Amino acid sequence: MTLTLDVLGTRILAGGRLSGPEALWLYREAPTLWLGRMADAVRRRKHPEGVVTYIIDRNVNYTNVCTARCNFCAFYRTVGHREGYVLGFDEIHRKIDETIALGGNQLLLQGGHNPDLPIDWYEDLFRGVKAKFPDFKLHALSPPEILHISRTAKLPVPEVVGRLVGAGLDSVPGGGAEILVDRVRKLLNCYGKASSDEWLDVMREVHRAGLRTTATMMYGTVETDDERLEHMLRLRALQDETGGFTAFITWSYQPEHTERGGEEATGVDYLRTLAIARLVLDNFDNLQASWVTQGGKVGQLSLAFGANDMGSVMIEENVVRAAGAAYCMDEFEVVRNIENAGFAASRRTMHYEQLGTPVFRQRDVPRMVELATAREDGDDSVPAELVNYQARSAAGKRQRGQAPPSPVA
Amino acid sequence: MSVDAESPIPEAVAAQVRAGQRLSADVVAHLATLSDILALGALADDCRRARHGARTTFVRVHAFDVDTMDRWQPAPAAAREMRLTGQPSSLDHALQAVRAARALSGGRVVRGFALEDLAVLGGRDGLRALVAAGLHDAAYVSPGPAAAALVAEGRHVGLGVRVIGATRVAADRTAWLLDARALADAVSGLVAVAPLPRVPDRLTPTTGFDDVRTVALARIALEHVPTIQVDWGRYGPKLAQVALTVGADDLDGVEAADDTSKGPRRAPLEDVRRNIAAAALVPVERDARFERLDA
Repeated sequence: MTLTLDVLGTRILAGGRLSGPEALWLYREAPTLWLGRMADAVRRRKHPEGVVTYIIDRNVNYTNVCTARCNFCAFYRTVGHREGYVLGFDEIHRKIDETIALGGNQLLLQGGHNPDLPIDWYEDLFRGVKAKFPDFKLHALSPPEILHISRTAKLPVPEVVGRLVGAGLDSVPGGGAEILVDRVRKLLNCYGKASSDEWLDVMREVHRAGLRTTATMMYGTVETDDERLEHMLRLRALQDETGGFTAFITWSYQPEHTERGGEEATGVDYLRTLAIARLVLDNFDNLQASWVTQGGKVGQLSLAFGANDMGSVMIEENVVRAAGAAYCMDEFEVVRNIENAGFAASRRTMHYEQLGTPVFRQRDVPRMVELATAREDGDDSVPAELVNYQARSAAGKRQRGQAPPSPVA
Repeated sequence: MSVDAESPIPEAVAAQVRAGQRLSADVVAHLATLSDILALGALADDCRRARHGARTTFVRVHAFDVDTMDRWQPAPAAAREMRLTGQPSSLDHALQAVRAARALSGGRVVRGFALEDLAVLGGRDGLRALVAAGLHDAAYVSPGPAAAALVAEGRHVGLGVRVIGATRVAADRTAWLLDARALADAVSGLVAVAPLPRVPDRLTPTTGFDDVRTVALARIALEHVPTIQVDWGRYGPKLAQVALTVGADDLDGVEAADDTSKGPRRAPLEDVRRNIAAAALVPVERDARFERLDA
């Protein structure tokens, strides 16, 4: 059958599903504004109430020490690096206090694959947070981190997930997906941290455990158009199976200070990718705008290209900032952009339950002109509690004063 | 079924726009209220393509900020235009800046300042002195009751004016566009409109929706002005590129220094070409007089 905009547009507007080849044809050939208007029509069908949501949470990276060495990442430091850090439990509690003061209800907690953090460190962290902040949510540990814990603990993923949920894990962010095509993952040096199947399998296990997760896609490195579509189709298939994804978030690779280098994909590329995602991911309710990588203006324009959520106020961000993006929007600015686009704004939970009017309209909240970072410059302190956890690396053992491994007799 | 069936723009209005006919002020005001900016953008894109096809011009500019004269450097060879920016505090300040820019220009065109800012410094004699010092064009003139007379005054002493622009965000953007249209009616030779303000409101910056709506409406409402500009340097690659899909056809303010420190593909010239091409458009460099350099 000859593909035409009219034929596919009719099917999309009627709620029909696009095949892979059809989606690829649209992605390559459809005018940008046509794609946007189709995506907007689907967004309106799914969210006819005209509300755009956002969450007040804090994007905390508990460690930057990582053995994965993805070549697109500017955030990680190798084991033993002088700039490597692990946040202390008290530091994380303080960040939660600050988040609650700004009306936040959740931490997005992710970090590097640090070999010196055993599973009981994560369990103790989660239990400590839940003991002190019982209603506060932990949206934590992307699939590659869960896989890393599984590997270092020599425990199967379902058992790791069970233990983390038992300690207080509420939901899992969809980080580390990059592009779910192994050819791409090998070129990005992220195949080792999780293959495409492994990433999806972890998500499957998390969904089976009753938790909801998000899904992400980082594009603009070495992948082809059809590999971006393959990524979306794999997510769609898993969502058909489990229904566990709450939202999809895509963003462009940020090249500053990375080993890979190169240039960033354009704003139009972002809007086209977001729009085709809205059309392909017909079983996802929510699409987030990535203002943190695209800036406030294109972030807001996302709301015309299929997004129904402005993502997070974030409060703190470290990873894309390391790669050159340093945009900031506080709650006031997020709401101003939502309302300027003709929508009503509502705070939400990770499960997209609406929480109502903005916090700044209920009480005075300080304006935020830049996002916080994990630590102040020059802070190289080592949390005291780390000595209670057995390090695996020689550098970690030295730092914690732990005995080196006994020589083999 | 087409998405056009869902367009909030009446078909009669769309047909009028596509035929290059003038919209009434009431219709322009109505279009300005639409939240469906993509319908507006698509209509503006039709107009832009009818006039320019896929061709998108850009100009490499070397800027001289009047507040940092002690740090000025000679203009790079690639610069097609010298641009004096900022607001001079006096006629002497403006003359000093023009002479200094002229000395560093290598004989290339020197444009600069808002015409209305220059006119208040010294009237017709002041404008004549600036022309004698080496200023070829005012960078732009803002629309308003006195604008047509100011352009005539400038031209009388040899100062060119080609662009209608906005220094700051207009309280009523629709009224601004209609004033710009009236100015282009009254004065010939105004070939471009730059509808986005040069000086952002730092407390309440315009949003992406505001900017897209303004660019699209400029294309639709100013049917007799060939060029709708967006400033690449001020608005950044992402917004400027999106603007090209909703009616803009020219990128002003592309950095002239071809900095390759971030790799050849991220040098300004390559970056602007890449962004234009990625919007399915064809980049064409132009000079300060809006002459295409591929001709």
